[in-house]
Amino acid sequence: MFFVLVATLFPIGISPEPEVLGEISAGVLWISALLASLLAMDNLFRADFEDGSLELLMLSPHPLYFLVLAKNVAHWLVSGLPVVLVSPLIAYMLNFPEGAYSTLVLTLLLGTPVLSLLGSIGVALTVGLGSRGLILAVITLPMSVPVLIAGTLTVSQTLEGASLSGYLAIMGAMLVAAFTLAPLASAAALRISVN
Amino acid sequence: MDWTWFHKWGSPKWFYELSGKWLPWLVGAMVTCLLIGVIWALLFVPQDYQQGLTNRIFYVHVPVASISLAFFPLMAIAGTIFLVWRMKLADVVVKVAAPLGAWFTALALASGSIWGVDTWGTWWVWDGRLTSLLLQFFLLLGVVSLRTALEDSEGAARACALLSIVGGINVVVIKYSVDWWNTLHQPSSNFTLATDQANGPEIWVPLIFMIVAVYLFFAISLILSTRNEILQREKRAQWVIDLVAKS
Repeated sequence: MFFVLVATLFPIGISPEPEVLGEISAGVLWISALLASLLAMDNLFRADFEDGSLELLMLSPHPLYFLVLAKNVAHWLVSGLPVVLVSPLIAYMLNFPEGAYSTLVLTLLLGTPVLSLLGSIGVALTVGLGSRGLILAVITLPMSVPVLIAGTLTVSQTLEGASLSGYLAIMGAMLVAAFTLAPLASAAALRISVN
Repeated sequence: MDWTWFHKWGSPKWFYELSGKWLPWLVGAMVTCLLIGVIWALLFVPQDYQQGLTNRIFYVHVPVASISLAFFPLMAIAGTIFLVWRMKLADVVVKVAAPLGAWFTALALASGSIWGVDTWGTWWVWDGRLTSLLLQFFLLLGVVSLRTALEDSEGAARACALLSIVGGINVVVIKYSVDWWNTLHQPSSNFTLATDQANGPEIWVPLIFMIVAVYLFFAISLILSTRNEILQREKRAQWVIDLVAKS
């Protein structure tokens, strides 16, 4: 929802000309996905922290790593996956160049989980704070830059007809690294924030 | 192996006394290097045949930029030491290094802009190095604001140590990805700041003096703010009360 809303603002704010939109559409979609993920991130541990179930989760005998990972996957299914699914529609409305739709969806599919996993570190660090919106953004957005770069570059390379496998491999590597390392950092951060 | 040298660092009082002995030497060395470097760089280095006098900002920009790249590794190492050994001094370093690093990064960006406006004809380009330094600046601000927002000092210390480690890893990833993005989009050959091999020693010897001076300046600022922070944290300790009573 927020994703669609932000993506709608770009044509209004920049230009409704199809040529201009086609040029920037990949970036617009990625930035919208990034902002949508940032906004949704706050819900990751929030409710659990407030009603105390987060503490119970941390006291449970299961390793916190897997619990954090499970929460991340569940969160991505309701916040990241819809973005991926709706992206072709928005891409069409933004006059996205033909022939790169599958790449766009594929990069978003690989990239949005990385955004969620990175964001969860920031959320875990700030979960106890009253006003955390800006801090969360300052911590999370710079860290998301590599994903943004990889995603938009992959799309633009497709349009130039270059081979994709290398770019997708790098995005996959980012996903694997985030998948293995980020929950470790989030779990450590949760132990610090909740005590 | 004898670890007493390592455990001594756990005592803020010991560091306070030791650094008090170092400070005059460090300040003396810095002033000497700075005077030699500045006078040499500003008055005696031959002018660049294309850039003229503007090129002299090189002697400020390069040392400042090189030291600003050292902050995240420093904070990540100090953060690790704090998380593993619970050393109070390491947390003090993480705390004071973040705002200091933000200042040095801002200084590097500003001096680069002033240099750029004359040589590239613009204050800002989305060049790989500039962008990654800007992102590092934001990350440092993130560490500072996290520290300010978390009032509980023990929790804040551990949270900031963790963020420094994560940020330190991320700065490397950001650096390489931004270079990758940039080199594909616009060739950066015009903008390479690397010292030309053709440049003789009359160019780089003053640079070394300036680099040493800026590094010493960084060490002195770090030590001074660390000492200040130690005094504030230990204000209820007997040795601080004695110290204040004496002065």
